[in-house]
Amino acid sequence: MEEKVITQNFHLKNYFKMDVYLKHDGYQAVKKALKKMKPEQIMDEVKKANLRGRGGAGFPAGVKWGFVPQDVPKPKYLCVNADEGEPGTFKDRYIMSHNPHLLIEGIIITSFCVGIRQAYIYIRGEYEAIAQRLEQAISEAYEKGFLGKNILDTGHDLDIIIHRGAGAYICGEETALLESLEGKRGHPRLKPPFPASIGLFNCPTVINNVETISNIPAIILKGAEWFCKLGLPKDGGTRIFGVSGMVKKPGIYELPLGTSLKDIIYKHAGGMKPGKKLKAVVPGGMSAPILKADEISIKMDFDSLVNAHSMLGSAAIIVIDKDTPIIDVLKAVAKFYSHESCGQCTPCRIGTSWINKIVKRIVEGKGKKEDINNIERLADNILGKTLCPLGDAAAMPISSIVGKFREELESYVSGKQNDKKM
Amino acid sequence: MANILIDDKPVEAQEGTTILLAAEQAGIPIPHLCFHRAFTPEGSCRMCLVEIEGFPKLELACSTQVKEGMKIWTKSERVVEARKGVLEFLLAEHPLDCPICDKAGECKLQDYYEEYGHFESQFKEYKEKKEKKLGIGKNLILDRERCILCTRCIRFLREITKTQELGMSNRGLHSEIDIYEKEMVDNHYSGNLAEICPVGAITDTDFRFKTRSWFLKKGDSICPLCSRGCNISIEYHPGFPRIPIKRRVYRITSRENPEVNSHWICDLGRYTYSYLDEDRLEDIISNNSNKGVKIDWENALQFLVRKIKKLYYMKKTSRIFLIFHSSLTNEELFLVNKIFREDLKLEKIFMVDSNEGEGDDFLLSSERSSNRKGAQVMGIDSKLINLEEIANKTDILIIFGNYLLDHFSPGEIKTALDKIETTILFTSWKSELDTLVDLVLPTALVAEKRGSLTNIDGRVQYFLPVLEPVGASLPEWEILVRLAKELKMNFTYYRQFKSPDKIFEKLEREIPFFSQKKND
Repeated sequence: MEEKVITQNFHLKNYFKMDVYLKHDGYQAVKKALKKMKPEQIMDEVKKANLRGRGGAGFPAGVKWGFVPQDVPKPKYLCVNADEGEPGTFKDRYIMSHNPHLLIEGIIITSFCVGIRQAYIYIRGEYEAIAQRLEQAISEAYEKGFLGKNILDTGHDLDIIIHRGAGAYICGEETALLESLEGKRGHPRLKPPFPASIGLFNCPTVINNVETISNIPAIILKGAEWFCKLGLPKDGGTRIFGVSGMVKKPGIYELPLGTSLKDIIYKHAGGMKPGKKLKAVVPGGMSAPILKADEISIKMDFDSLVNAHSMLGSAAIIVIDKDTPIIDVLKAVAKFYSHESCGQCTPCRIGTSWINKIVKRIVEGKGKKEDINNIERLADNILGKTLCPLGDAAAMPISSIVGKFREELESYVSGKQNDKKM
Repeated sequence: MANILIDDKPVEAQEGTTILLAAEQAGIPIPHLCFHRAFTPEGSCRMCLVEIEGFPKLELACSTQVKEGMKIWTKSERVVEARKGVLEFLLAEHPLDCPICDKAGECKLQDYYEEYGHFESQFKEYKEKKEKKLGIGKNLILDRERCILCTRCIRFLREITKTQELGMSNRGLHSEIDIYEKEMVDNHYSGNLAEICPVGAITDTDFRFKTRSWFLKKGDSICPLCSRGCNISIEYHPGFPRIPIKRRVYRITSRENPEVNSHWICDLGRYTYSYLDEDRLEDIISNNSNKGVKIDWENALQFLVRKIKKLYYMKKTSRIFLIFHSSLTNEELFLVNKIFREDLKLEKIFMVDSNEGEGDDFLLSSERSSNRKGAQVMGIDSKLINLEEIANKTDILIIFGNYLLDHFSPGEIKTALDKIETTILFTSWKSELDTLVDLVLPTALVAEKRGSLTNIDGRVQYFLPVLEPVGASLPEWEILVRLAKELKMNFTYYRQFKSPDKIFEKLEREIPFFSQKKND
């Protein structure tokens, strides 16, 4: 069985409680990092571990921390992005509900490393029970002296505040998250300046995904070399793949980076449900371009998926079977992005809703052949021209669905028209 | 300085400036809707995307700073296609009601469609239905269907007036500009919102449905309604030559001057333009023998000259009493001072202005006369306190302006004026004073004359006439020069004043303050 970084103790009863967590080597990483290591050593270790961001963009975490200027008099902040809004993604909720102290440990070490005394967890509004569990875990950590003033007599202070979102997908975009955290409307900011230099309340800010931060304690305890060996040379560690759709055993699977998609679906998730045949797979959350059934021998890591014109994203694998019409997939995608576009910039605001209107018309049986070309053209007019990545996230899957399943869509459009004539 | 190439043209740009501003300075306009140089860039309209060498995506011209050696293309095929794409998106959900839109003719969306568009829209869906006339301020109506969500209005209220009455509500395609509950936009600068709106989303009830913008002529002037001297444009219909429809001013808009008013004007200056057309005095009226007889300038001036000369030869000019106001131009104040104080040696020269009004710490000054500073510089700013006392022992009273009515009741004025043998009034508007004096002479307004004003900060601003003086009215400088020449006290001196520019030349030579102020 493969070695795991985050989920190895998920089976233990009450692992989310402090006493159980402490019995299983809990908070050893914090003790090691704060008492035996210097912040620079921690940053070096994380850089060497090649830990890439688990939220979707895959930016190396250590490098991101390095961008935070250390010579400014302003306070620095850490924001943990727990807004997990990408359709198909459900890994962070498992981490936070089964192992909240791991996340807290990661936050303490990250904050110590970058010199942060105030951390926020921006959690998806729908995760109310999980937010309560996190609150519980945080108050336990305060009681044990892992949070608050003068942690473990090291002189380092840290407070963690949980902020619940109000249910907007856009607030998972890091700068919109900052705006929302500041109490404003969740609109992405123009970059530059990047949050590392001007972020929350105009102060230097580190923003990392829950899974990224949860990898830190293991890197500290077992070293960067061990972590790197788990994954690939440029892409260290494991990924928590969230498999959903028409498989026998949907759920989360922590596997080394570079595991093949075929293995994940057929070996780990138990293969297709009885009587179902594989049609397509979305490999990294709904924003990732779709893969056809014959493309699944691909390795699941950042670079391999980029080469296949898709992306690893949040590593959420959505398995689609042959009984699902592709128009239904397209409808779900178009509706989601048109509903979640924040409305700030023109191409995303109007483009996504325009596409949604066309798709809706096609579903109603009023589609024409040229509509399919038009969808492709509009997606192209959105791609790369929006203020934040939401536009791309909408355009990429739509283009890929139309590109790879054009025949099915065309026959759907003409089939419906024939039905009408009869 | 950074050396960059824009469309293969070498441009030297200020370090730290944006591509859009650098290109504009080099004479290469880059289309933009949400960008306004008074606000921080928003980057939401996506019209200003340009191609930069070494950048995989198109980048925003409005927020990307120039760097040494940058190569930028603003009209490449990729850029033009992207702009067309953005325009197609904007127009898809736009009501296209240009024929009834007040912004038509000066709408950026129209302009850019002319420039990049002329394509058939592929949009075959239903357009969103939204609120077409939502009152958001005392003079402002919001049409949410026309709105392109550039947020200029929000940023104006956030960054300039800091009153923040507008925000955005809802999300995605349903995003809309909104007021909070029933709190309307209410500040001294609300009218600017309609002006900075790049499309016809925010319109001004004062202008709505009154005329089409292309029927209007436009001229540069200075706002005379307070001592700030904001730079304005007067937009008017010149009238029709063959049918009796007179010229009419339709609106006042702001004119950029970073030293005075930036891009803005206050609502007082914007909406109080009716003074230019309404209740204007058009004829010279004599109440001497019979009431309300129209006479010409020749006779009127002769009458005044005769009266003044009589006292002058009797060495009784101390019995002449002059009331002027500080909305006269620098040139006119200079003439008042020359003729009445230096030549005729009058003792009773007083200033009567309109009352002070509400001011703020931005543009609107509580000092409502336009050239108070000029009067101060010339040392002729003593205010009139007691009308009746001074009216005793007076034979001739010459009044410029009808501002007496701001300080004294018509009864008080009548009592004082009845004691004086000859009373003469120079004014631009009809008022209750007209029947109380012997002679009423019509004068031109700042918008109708040439000259200069000194604003509250001591800045001298020159202006040209935009409008023709109404009826028989003449600018005060012209009347004063004619009067001085008729008085024949210093004929050769006054003969040279053929225009206000000549008077200003003298002003510069004689008053050091003006020689130091060689502003535009």
